Amino acid sequence: MGVAEFSWDASRNRYTFPGMGLGGSKLSDQVLTGNAHWFIVFRWAVIGVLLLFQIFALIASDTLTEIGITHQQGWPVAITALLCIANILYIYALDFRPQTRYNSPSINIWAQIIVDLLCLSVVVHFVGSIATPAPFFYVLHIALSCIFFSTVESLIVTGMVCVMYAIVLLIENPLLFLNHQSILISDAAALHPLKIDILLWMFTLDVLFFVVWYVVSRLSIVVRANERHLLDAYEQISRAQVEKDRYAVLMTHQLKAPLDAIRSKINLIKGNYCGEAPPEIRDVLLKIDHRASGMAMLILDVLKLERLKAAARDPGSLEQVNVELIIRKCIEKLKPIAKSRHIIIKPSIEGFIVDGIPSQFEILFENIISNAIAYSYDGASVEVSALFDIRDSSATVSVIDHGIGIADKDLPHIFDEYFYTPRAALHNRTSSGIGLSIVKTVAENNKLHIKVSSEQNVGTIFSVTLQNAKKAAALENEVRHPASPVSNPGIGIEFHA
Amino acid sequence: MHTSVIPAQRPESTQTRGQMPNSVLEKEGCTTRRIAHIDDDPDIRDTVKRILDANGYGVDSYQTMNDFIVSLGNSQDLPDLAILDVMVETMDIGLETYMEIRKRFPGLHMIFMTSLGEEIRPYFTGISDEWILIVEKPVEPVSLLSIIRNRLDAAEA
Repeated sequence: MGVAEFSWDASRNRYTFPGMGLGGSKLSDQVLTGNAHWFIVFRWAVIGVLLLFQIFALIASDTLTEIGITHQQGWPVAITALLCIANILYIYALDFRPQTRYNSPSINIWAQIIVDLLCLSVVVHFVGSIATPAPFFYVLHIALSCIFFSTVESLIVTGMVCVMYAIVLLIENPLLFLNHQSILISDAAALHPLKIDILLWMFTLDVLFFVVWYVVSRLSIVVRANERHLLDAYEQISRAQVEKDRYAVLMTHQLKAPLDAIRSKINLIKGNYCGEAPPEIRDVLLKIDHRASGMAMLILDVLKLERLKAAARDPGSLEQVNVELIIRKCIEKLKPIAKSRHIIIKPSIEGFIVDGIPSQFEILFENIISNAIAYSYDGASVEVSALFDIRDSSATVSVIDHGIGIADKDLPHIFDEYFYTPRAALHNRTSSGIGLSIVKTVAENNKLHIKVSSEQNVGTIFSVTLQNAKKAAALENEVRHPASPVSNPGIGIEFHA
Repeated sequence: MHTSVIPAQRPESTQTRGQMPNSVLEKEGCTTRRIAHIDDDPDIRDTVKRILDANGYGVDSYQTMNDFIVSLGNSQDLPDLAILDVMVETMDIGLETYMEIRKRFPGLHMIFMTSLGEEIRPYFTGISDEWILIVEKPVEPVSLLSIIRNRLDAAEA
């Protein structure tokens, strides 16, 4: 007895809110490395400010003394030097040492925060722990730790900040806490106003630190939860895309397989494996096979078009495409068909390279050239030229036929899916009606410009313009530069009636 | 657009019924080459068998991948070539069987024949590093024979 279990609970835990745990709400190493770099850059800016402060102190030391900042001890120089050395060490550990258990981006950021807090405490001590707004800079570190670390870790940082600030206050006024006991038993009015001031500062700032921690860490949790949902959604879309493709493949197979069985049998008769068939029957079979091959082509083209559309949504990796090789390959492929109708393909191709998706370029040129052959008159010629324009780094591939041409009223619609004209259908019975839709999709995916000029019974010119082209030979010695942003001209149709 | 993976064709008029002129028997005058063909479509099985029989090959046809694997057993007497349909039963079964055969019988030469032609190739990326020959259906006698001859020659070399 067979037993099968089914479960469709794929959404389980999908929307769980990341809790206070250390693991769940941590950022990935890649994100942490990015943040560590950003932190280092920010610190260089602080070092710059400190240097400016020292220059200012040299010029106007009296003004600083007036506002209560003591600069004589040379602490800004020491802090600047320490931060400089620390910054260089962080960069060395991040970029020039292999990542180990003891050299992770997380430990790097921890070291940065602790050293920064120590430096800040020194600054707070010297510029005045209650006389200036310097202690408020502790808030910045709490906010950053909430962004970089988990909730618990940022709470530890907040605790450290409170302790450090208390130590700074204690160093400034060593008797502050020693007198504490006597304060409780003595009359409140006997308290020194400065002590009340210091305790009030400490209490208020500690409250502020915890409030900031609470607010920013909650915000951070919400942001990370949303980030997780976005990732989930992206994963779902990717899975759906894969499923869709599998379904399309299955449908294509189910539709095409019976046709292939029929055509295989026809091929048996054509190959005389079932005895010699009379010419009339052979003729009829050829016609059946011709129509069936058209239908088979249509079925495969629908799959190709769907895949190309999906590729447009997926910013796939672009490669350097040698267009000359691709065009020559297409011509080689199509030569037997052209030959069977006594059509000569005349290539005149300059070598150049563009960024694009190679397989798609092949589909594009194969479609355009095979169309030129299909809609030519027997015995005519098809000219394929590729010209590289060094002035504006563009290249134009033109496919010229001398065939039935396209009527003016039809020209704007040739890229529409399943568009066909009775005139064209009469000339080429096997057209799937989506060949040019495929061309259009490839052009969109690869940001190509296509110009079509046609005159009925004279012929058609398809010109594909490719931007940012490079000479094929020059490529090897050239360092690759990122492509400059160009506007996407899209698809255009121009008349030369 | 019809993309063909088949080599250049020869004129079909060279063929006659029965023993075909380019058959391996005539050419080599030696033992019959054995070819295994797995396809769930009886019409395709019949077509391939007729063509290969007429050209002097020994053909073992199987309806399912499982039948084929059972027939292989653990014997070292492998067919000279196996023609597999990718979408036999389901695509997954086709690909899984291919993986299993590759693992168990690394010496067995295989080609794939499918209605989807090159469009099936994306499903092979990542499961095999080796070059895979995919032939698009329908079965065309001249090109099928030429491919088989090529593959058998390549296997010998």
